[in-house]
Amino acid sequence: MKKLAPISILVTVALLGITSYFALVVAPTEATMGDVQRIFYYHVSSGWVGMLCFFVNFVASILYLWKRSPASDALAAASAEVGVVFTGVLLLLGMLWARPVWGIWWTWDARLTTTLVLWLIYVSYLVLRRFSAGGQTQVLAAAFAVFGFVDVPIVYMSIRWFRTQHPAPVIGGGENSGMAPGIAHVFLFTLVVFTLLGAWFIWLRYKLATEEQALESAHTQAALKGVA
Amino acid sequence: MTSVMFLKVAYVVAWVVYIGYLARILVRMKTVAAERAELERTSAKNAAASQSNP
Repeated sequence: MKKLAPISILVTVALLGITSYFALVVAPTEATMGDVQRIFYYHVSSGWVGMLCFFVNFVASILYLWKRSPASDALAAASAEVGVVFTGVLLLLGMLWARPVWGIWWTWDARLTTTLVLWLIYVSYLVLRRFSAGGQTQVLAAAFAVFGFVDVPIVYMSIRWFRTQHPAPVIGGGENSGMAPGIAHVFLFTLVVFTLLGAWFIWLRYKLATEEQALESAHTQAALKGVA
Repeated sequence: MTSVMFLKVAYVVAWVVYIGYLARILVRMKTVAAERAELERTSAKNAAASQSNP
């Protein structure tokens, strides 16, 4: 623990620092929106990691329902919490980008609304885990997570299915989609580094979840010894 | 507020949230470790007491 704290801070600051440098200094200025378009690098990368975390949560929840392994439950809890943090940043940065570009902070279009619903689903998941009493919390949470994941593909497809205020997809969006090479290179780099940052946070949170499980089990054993 | 200000605020917000979340995880880890050590100390003390008073 003594070594983990400074290493964690160093890794996180290094990953954020390198992405900020590339996004704010190395990336070319976009012709239409100007410098404010640089929010894109953190906005989309945070969204990508958030969705990835919810996918990990989905797989871990299925594994928990199947095997009832505490490790799967710890991974599900860790990935959901990290996903909520990254999706929260996605929403905040989206609003900070929308205000100067659209003139509004928020609009109830399909992409924004489904993303907010997704964030609320996983906040509810964490509230369920935190406050549910009785021995069925993990099973309830896992079942909730499997159904909650249904919103992830809906968020992804929303800008393909509906006409939205949110821009059309820049990747895999047909003939008129795509990015300038300078922007694309920085974007891909940021995406990879943010994926590492997300994995790093999941690992730390998973470690915490397993330590919490061990503490809970130690408490139970101590209580049983006391009774005996 | 100019558009560059929005850009700066966005990056500051992202940094604050990510570093804040990391700090929260580390504080919770420290609390759990301290609680575990305390529990082990109490259990050892109780075991020693029950051995001396059968």
